[in-house]
Amino acid sequence: MASTQNKSDSKSEAKQQPEQQQPTEQKKAAALEEDDEFEDFPVDDWAAEETEAAADKTAQHLWEESWDDDDTSDDFSAQLKEELKKVESSKKR
Amino acid sequence: MGPTWQPVPPPPGTSNTMAAPYPAPAYTPVQVRQTFGQPYPTTSQPSPPYAFGLYPPHSITPTASYTNPPPATMNPAPAPAQEMEPPKKKVDWPISVRHYVQRSFLPANMDPTVTREEMEAKLKETITQANIKDLMFSVDWSTMSLPQEMIREERERSRKLPQEMRQLHIPDNMSPTRPVAYSPPYANSGSKKRKSSDLSESAPWRAGNGGGRLEDRVSFTSDRGQQQQSAQEPAAPATTSAKSKFQKQLEKRQKRFDGGYKSTYRSPSPPPSTGPVVGTCQDLEKRYLRLTAPPIPSKVRPEPVLRQALEHVKRKWKSEQNYNYACDQFKSIRQDLTVQLIRNEFTVEVYEIHARIALEKGDIGEYNQCQTQLKALYQRGLKGRETEFKAYRILYFIYSANRTALNDVLADLTPAEKKDAAIKHALDVRSALALGNYHRFFRLYNDTPKMGAYLMDMFVVRERLAALCNICKAYLPSVPLRFVTEELYFESDSEAAQFILDHAGREVLVEKDDGDVIVKTREACRPFEAARAAAFGRIDIKGQI
Amino acid sequence: MDALFSDFADAQREGNGNKLAQTISPAHSDEKLRAIWKSCNAHSVKDVLKHHIHNSSSGKNRLPQEEVKGWVEVFFCYWKAIDDILAVQDSATNGKASHSSWTTVYESWKDLLSALHRGYLSNGFEAWTIPCLYVAGKHLRVFAIKADRERNSNASFDSAAAANFEDDFNPESEQNQKLEDCARQLNRVFNLCLSDRAPIDESRKWGIYYVINLLFKTYFKLNSATLSKNVLKALSAGKGDMPPLIAFPKSQQVTFNYYEGVLHFLEENYVEAERHLTEAWNLCHKGAMANKELILTYLIPCHLLTTHTLPSQKLLEPYPRLQRLFAPLAQCIKKGELHAFDLALQDGEDEFVKRRIYLTLERGRDIALRNLLRKVFIAGGFEEAKEEGAKPVRRSRVSIAEFAAAISLGSQETIDNDEVECLLANMIYKNLMKGYISRERGMVVLSKNGAFPGTGV
Repeated sequence: MASTQNKSDSKSEAKQQPEQQQPTEQKKAAALEEDDEFEDFPVDDWAAEETEAAADKTAQHLWEESWDDDDTSDDFSAQLKEELKKVESSKKR
Repeated sequence: MGPTWQPVPPPPGTSNTMAAPYPAPAYTPVQVRQTFGQPYPTTSQPSPPYAFGLYPPHSITPTASYTNPPPATMNPAPAPAQEMEPPKKKVDWPISVRHYVQRSFLPANMDPTVTREEMEAKLKETITQANIKDLMFSVDWSTMSLPQEMIREERERSRKLPQEMRQLHIPDNMSPTRPVAYSPPYANSGSKKRKSSDLSESAPWRAGNGGGRLEDRVSFTSDRGQQQQSAQEPAAPATTSAKSKFQKQLEKRQKRFDGGYKSTYRSPSPPPSTGPVVGTCQDLEKRYLRLTAPPIPSKVRPEPVLRQALEHVKRKWKSEQNYNYACDQFKSIRQDLTVQLIRNEFTVEVYEIHARIALEKGDIGEYNQCQTQLKALYQRGLKGRETEFKAYRILYFIYSANRTALNDVLADLTPAEKKDAAIKHALDVRSALALGNYHRFFRLYNDTPKMGAYLMDMFVVRERLAALCNICKAYLPSVPLRFVTEELYFESDSEAAQFILDHAGREVLVEKDDGDVIVKTREACRPFEAARAAAFGRIDIKGQI
Repeated sequence: MDALFSDFADAQREGNGNKLAQTISPAHSDEKLRAIWKSCNAHSVKDVLKHHIHNSSSGKNRLPQEEVKGWVEVFFCYWKAIDDILAVQDSATNGKASHSSWTTVYESWKDLLSALHRGYLSNGFEAWTIPCLYVAGKHLRVFAIKADRERNSNASFDSAAAANFEDDFNPESEQNQKLEDCARQLNRVFNLCLSDRAPIDESRKWGIYYVINLLFKTYFKLNSATLSKNVLKALSAGKGDMPPLIAFPKSQQVTFNYYEGVLHFLEENYVEAERHLTEAWNLCHKGAMANKELILTYLIPCHLLTTHTLPSQKLLEPYPRLQRLFAPLAQCIKKGELHAFDLALQDGEDEFVKRRIYLTLERGRDIALRNLLRKVFIAGGFEEAKEEGAKPVRRSRVSIAEFAAAISLGSQETIDNDEVECLLANMIYKNLMKGYISRERGMVVLSKNGAFPGTGV
């Protein structure tokens, strides 16, 4: 990266040409899409029993801790242990 | 007790700047780069041909444009200075008069059979008369007949006049034309072909900065597009000489005839004028005046002249480095482009160059205006240095901590753009800061493409403070000064030491027996936190959890 | 026309605002609109309307003269707007040129809203009729969007330059001309409701949240969160004599909480954002799946940053889109797979950016890193017990090299030790890890009681 970007403009210009054909077909992403708008509710009001909170009494199980101590047998954990061993042994040498 | 530190001379133990392990300095401090948000520094350059001090820029009232003698048509190539001559008797017009002038030039009120020159003359006459008679504030300007209406009425009446009198009303474009060679006094003799050296290589203002990466910053890129060699562009058709005595007499007579200016207001609007104005002005230099009424063709330059004007201002910029002058010229070029609705790649070029100069000189207001227009121009599919300016945009939003805008820019990037070196650099800067990775941030700072470093300079101090907060909380009991110098890309130990002294006081630096200087981290925590909070100030980045 | 005014009469007799609002809705079948439009012509329309409205009430329920006048104006505007709407639709179906466009529809609908506005200010319209404002405001917004789309598809943005002679305007705001105007109109309605001094049970203040929600929706589309903040400011200034939010229908509570939550989210006030979004979530109708999905779209990134918790499988299950969006990231965070996290973030970038959650999720990398470092710490095992039976103590000195090996895992790039130290310094600075770096010895000395606060080690 460092080596190419400091080069003279003529070079990067040549490279940029094909890319610059595109701006017209650029996606217009500034505003959220229509279907992402919060919808009007079909009814104005509802009873407490109809709410999400009432529907799911076990709300506390909806969120869980971000770490996982139980599962240490997966590939990644094994790889990690392998790497740490390598560091350990290189230190001893 | 630690050694005593002198704020200005390099502290002991740091005077030997580490030339060896460092590449060329990340930048050479240039005074102007530290002036963001401040008034422009007055340069010590020789004054431009016309003195700016005489006319406060950007605040010209209609007085300047309409109380002058009927302009350019009478005089094919007036010297700018003459044209700018202030009115002899300066009158503050009541707002109602200004509105009247504006109303006269509303497109809906224009009459294709009445030229602007005629209107101007009529306006001038009307207003001057009112002034002489001390009626400026008593006349009901909101119902006053518009100049074009007066002129039409005059024509009606003049039809009853003898034939020879009527001939004086021959429209300007019927008069004999004679191409006038245009050769401004300041133009080089002969062809004005661009030199290849133009602003793209070894510009004098770039020399003497030690080369290195600074070159990338001031990459005043070479031009695209061919320059139209139109130095000998024929001037606008010459017109009849100034208002004849006859005509004046005629007007006088008419005034007597209709008893002053109280002609009845005619409601039906004349047909709107067609299309944008097409300029005829041939001046290379033109002061920028904010328009309050539709432009007068004789004061607007057509594209071929504007192309020459751009070359002219670039040359002057190269040799004189007078930003006030250059900015003013760029603004008038931009205005001429705007009023003529010229939107092409030349337009893009004008905005790009002005943006670069403004960026270099820290004029963020103009820089942002150019960027706003550039964005729209690129969106129309016009070509230019789109990725370069998108990269600047990203860096600017990082500086202003404008999260919404950053998100929008991200959303608009195409996969190809994300691979562009300048944009990729800006995106990497963004993500390095988002993740608190100051190590990567300062390496990116040291390797900024094009002029992005002018933007990064705007937030590098606060990021250094933020990094020092991190370091001082995480390392115990101390870190070597050299470590700070290297991590935060100071130019030298003494610069790093000075920065620490300035923000955390002298107690936190200690010179050890072996001559090495260390930073006592525990003690430095609190002062750096305070300095960081102050530096982020108004644009505090909230919600750092 | 007869049917229309029989509904009008019923609504007036019953004091039924929603029914009344239906009589000025443009969302009727084509035939119905056409029937209304055909029942009179431009010359007779006012007389016909006067006659109908006058006769729609009788006896002690008779509408006062002023009110009759006001409604005549409203229905006159309604009739003209229908004319324009039908013309636009006709020209769309048969391709014929028409005097009308969505811009003219917008303008005539704006007249209707203004007539209503005057009705409240000068003709004595009562507060129970405010659903009429809802219907008028809601459709004004719809027409504004259509007008802008129509204009942008055929016009250029030169008009602004031509009118100003200067280039210091933003061409982009031209694209939303009508929607911006619509926001101004809705703001007038907002003030009409806010400033009503009548006793609360007869007050237009009951219309406030409906109008605010419409305004929020409009400002979001205009991409102008700051304007939404102004509404909140005005609201809290007048809060003293306002019924509490909880007294309003749940649809309005949920919508309001959602938008206020997202506003805080966009400003990185994640704690406040979480509060409002949770409230919206709890009160939301259990069957409103699309809205629940939207609430979660912001609530999940909030939770990640405020409480470092992840959505459970159970929570995501009913929403395949959210699952696709968040499950891969959540998995990487849990395992501390730093490099995989980067890839997952890259994969979802377009979608994340579009939903304005990319910059928030990106910071979830800290949690992934924390979990990785935590694994290294745990893998280090325990110190040799100094004395028999003592509580085992984890090895608290970890070399930078170990952390470096873990951080580089899976990545092609090599990360030098200075950068590793930088990342560790961040963890310490952000209180995700407790301890200090000893640069001299090239190691991290971790706290013996809680090296990774809140995670049990």
